Amino acid sequence: MGVADQPDSQWPAEGFDIEDLAGARAAGRPVYADRHLVITRTQHPRGLRFAGEIDVANSEAVGASLAFAFPEFGDPHLDLSRLSFCDISGIRAIVEAAGALVHARRLLLHGLPAQLETVIKVTGWSEMPSLELCHCGEQQP
Amino acid sequence: MTASAHSLPRKFRHQAVFYSGLAEFINGTVPFIRQGIAAAEAVLVVESAHKIDMLRTVLGQAAGSVMFADMAEVGANPARIIPAWQDFVREHEQSGRGLRGIGEPIWKGRTPDELVECQRHESLLNVAFGHGRPWTLLCPYDVDNLPAEVIVEARRSHEFVLDGMSCSQSELYRGIEASASRFDAPLPEPPPGVRQVAFDAESLLALRRHVVRFATGCGFSAERTIRFVTAVNEVASNSVLHGAGRGRLRMWRGGLSLLCEITDAGVFEKSLADRTRPSAAARDPRGLWLANQLCDLVQVRMLPTGTVVRLHLYQDARPQLHVVEDPRHLEGASAA
Repeated sequence: MGVADQPDSQWPAEGFDIEDLAGARAAGRPVYADRHLVITRTQHPRGLRFAGEIDVANSEAVGASLAFAFPEFGDPHLDLSRLSFCDISGIRAIVEAAGALVHARRLLLHGLPAQLETVIKVTGWSEMPSLELCHCGEQQP
Repeated sequence: MTASAHSLPRKFRHQAVFYSGLAEFINGTVPFIRQGIAAAEAVLVVESAHKIDMLRTVLGQAAGSVMFADMAEVGANPARIIPAWQDFVREHEQSGRGLRGIGEPIWKGRTPDELVECQRHESLLNVAFGHGRPWTLLCPYDVDNLPAEVIVEARRSHEFVLDGMSCSQSELYRGIEASASRFDAPLPEPPPGVRQVAFDAESLLALRRHVVRFATGCGFSAERTIRFVTAVNEVASNSVLHGAGRGRLRMWRGGLSLLCEITDAGVFEKSLADRTRPSAAARDPRGLWLANQLCDLVQVRMLPTGTVVRLHLYQDARPQLHVVEDPRHLEGASAA
């Protein structure tokens, strides 16, 4: 998709934290990758690690990754410590994945950036029983 | 038509009270509060800290039956006031108790932009509560310190007016339907030379980088910059999702504020869309709600050509983001 007609100026080309993403890619075959987001599997605990940024351009892909990547038993874990931005559509994808869990399973979020935690609270999503905001060994930027 | 000043309403009663000096303020509010206490109603007073102190003193022990909240906090961004009143009404839905409130959203120190939004807020109260359960909201106006046109507008946004001892129906009241009409009050033009940039889904990331650079370049802290970029991104995402896939952004410095305006071709008509607390349902819209919780002021204009959203972030930390997880936060501010 191109930018709208007759902009007064073009967006400058920017780096997308390429080193970070390259590191995440090297850690294993990603479940999903685009220019500014890489999703990889984690084994201990079992779940997914996100590195980069989530917005409306890739939140659908995030939802799809979440839908098929979870093991059938146990609580899935998401490592968000290398997520540098996540918009409401991204949080919605995570919330919907948590809502789809059955049999008292919970989705545990680790390394949640402080701003993201605030947004989750302000937008009324922090009370979901199947979503847990973990503060165990939290990594802060 | 003359009605008794404080009769039990059969519908939402939105009433302005004009006062000149603190003695008139007390005369205009304390009997209203005492009547509520006598009728075992839930009474919430959202006023300045100074006026709350004064009311507590005048009410004495009775103040213990009244809930108080600081308007400088609740209403720093006027779009957060209606949700606070909705929490108050919802909280007492089951109890069957009568309800009454006092709220003074407009004071002398409001900026011109805040004043416009406060006036819109006063009209939207009619929309938010006009068809719901009956209760009374009294809105004091300081005639000594507010321009005459603000008082005239109060007569348009309030169905009832208490002036001195007489309460009457306001001849100028615009009604619920007109209160909900498209809001297109003109916004002041930014200074000359402000750049406009276009964006779509693919350029949101570059847009965020641009906003971060601009805000930090203006000396805003990392915390406030992240807050701003989060809000801008949501409004821009609305343009991408509902505004024909694209929009335009302008950003500039105005006094101690950072302003960002997003324009798109999307048209929305829901007058309360920016101040409706989302439920836990995943699909509920949240973008403008979040912008109002993160920013100091959000101005939404619904034009025939599309939608304009102007976000304001103040450099000095005004009363900060109210993380309201429990809608009963207002109880927390109540008297012991």
